[in-house]
Amino acid sequence: MNVYITSSGHFLPGPAINNEEIEPLLGLVHGKPSRLRRRILQSNGIQTRHYAIDANHNTTISNAGMAAKAAEHCLSSSFLGKRQIKMLSAATSQGDIVLPGFGSMLQAELGLSDIELHSSHGICSSSLMALKAAFTNLKTGEQPNALVVASELTSRLFKASRYEAAGAELDFNAEFLRWMLSDGAGALLLETQPRGKCFRIDWIRSFSHADAYPVCMSVGYPSNSPHTSWQDYASYAEAEADGALLIRQDVRLLENIVKLGVDGYLRLISEGRVQPDKIDHVLCHYSSHYFKGKIFDMMQRAGVGIAEHKWYSNLYSRGNTGCASIFIMLDEFRTSQAHQVGDTILCMVPESGRFNNAYMQLTVVEP
Amino acid sequence: MTEHVLNPHSQQCLQALMRVWFDFERQLGRVPLLQRLERGQFSKADYCQLLLNWRQQVIEGSRWISRCASSFDRDYSDVRSTIIGHAREEHRDYEMLERDYVAAGGNLADIQTAPRNIGTEALHGFLMYRASQPNPVDLVGAMWIIEGLGQKMADNWAAQIDRATGGDGSYTRFMRYHGANDDNHMQKLYQLLNRLCQSPAQLSAIVRTARVTAKLYCLQLEETEHDYSE
Repeated sequence: MNVYITSSGHFLPGPAINNEEIEPLLGLVHGKPSRLRRRILQSNGIQTRHYAIDANHNTTISNAGMAAKAAEHCLSSSFLGKRQIKMLSAATSQGDIVLPGFGSMLQAELGLSDIELHSSHGICSSSLMALKAAFTNLKTGEQPNALVVASELTSRLFKASRYEAAGAELDFNAEFLRWMLSDGAGALLLETQPRGKCFRIDWIRSFSHADAYPVCMSVGYPSNSPHTSWQDYASYAEAEADGALLIRQDVRLLENIVKLGVDGYLRLISEGRVQPDKIDHVLCHYSSHYFKGKIFDMMQRAGVGIAEHKWYSNLYSRGNTGCASIFIMLDEFRTSQAHQVGDTILCMVPESGRFNNAYMQLTVVEP
Repeated sequence: MTEHVLNPHSQQCLQALMRVWFDFERQLGRVPLLQRLERGQFSKADYCQLLLNWRQQVIEGSRWISRCASSFDRDYSDVRSTIIGHAREEHRDYEMLERDYVAAGGNLADIQTAPRNIGTEALHGFLMYRASQPNPVDLVGAMWIIEGLGQKMADNWAAQIDRATGGDGSYTRFMRYHGANDDNHMQKLYQLLNRLCQSPAQLSAIVRTARVTAKLYCLQLEETEHDYSE
């Protein structure tokens, strides 16, 4: 049984925020402008992004609310109504509440009845994990369709008050993601029958390397003790004061995503799944323009590079929205970029959380 | 970007060697001593133990390289020149390593009398055996691993060791030195690969030797913490 992406949608909250507007919105930490901001923004190349919080740090829309908007956008251009949806597969790195699962909250927000539910938890690759769960479910004939939604609301972690609550000076690793991540949601509709010009999912594969590498991106540890969980403190206030609730990136380890991203690509080539000369479009969720060049060069070095003009990304205008990025990219690609029946699309999501690399190949079809 | 064009076999070989290297890095990531270094829970004593175990391999390293050079016949005299040059550059590196050991608080007599650990024994035995074969083309695979490791030491380990042990670089000179000439070394390695990998049989021999070298190198690092006196 074949599985097709027959519709897509996205939601980006509020107006596009340019580089000069970020700090006034997120706030000055201890009243002082950041010394790292310019350098990090220069390297990631992002020009505009969106936030679901305003300058008073009110949340303008919840994570589940954004996910629902993206899903509704996706359904509005599909052949299906909500009553016909049989499965919901949802991904986020952090829901609005700790429990229950994000999928349950999204289902209620969307008003979907009697569906099969899946929640996928992780960082950037969790959307492709959610997609794979839906894909295999359809592939085996268990369900005829599935709505797959990925959404992120990380800006709540970037409010100046969060850093101030964690005490004195900000370290680079704790500040880094403040200038990298932003909010948004993306949705895809999967069906076992094609509808007009759509994408057939050829395969989805991931390779995780958590056993060989330390944690690279995290929320829940204090900076000096990777063995203490935020839940080990006597009170959550103490966890926050100790910096255990800050989102951190171990920048020193980050370069590994380049090698591991290329490694997975080479594996898929040797398995015969990827034929580099047959790829017409590459949609790679690199977190930063800096890494795009590195991945591109290493693929060239291996002799299996893909021409620059085949690479598409909307990172620069939509921001890095974690697991939602690849869906938002796919949606914008589908609706704005030229693609022909028979074209092959390679999607890549090298995640730095603890190094899970996910890949997907699509073929443009028209029945 | 590729600065020079590789022949099709060596290009494929390079691709396979990259995968062997990525896998090697993951194997290194599972070695307990290196996991502690990664977490910063690494003492000067750990570092001395590492150097103590490393010295034998560095000494033997120059020997297999020299043997390898002498096993190439006159059809490969250009290769011989390159490898002899490389061997001459590195054959006294162990003296720098010994100075680091002493600077880090170790006793010179201890490092000079330490036996090879069983990983070093296996690695050295394998490399000397391969180096003794006529025209040991496959050893470019071993060089790939060992050069790559030099780069990793210089780029990552030296700084991590200094950070974890409060050092100022004065006892990580050996590791840092390996990074200094790196681009040059890698460039020579690509040229060597292009020269030596000209057939599918050579390709698979090179990749196999790279795999074995990587596995035995890991064994050597794992054995660093093995105390046989127990």
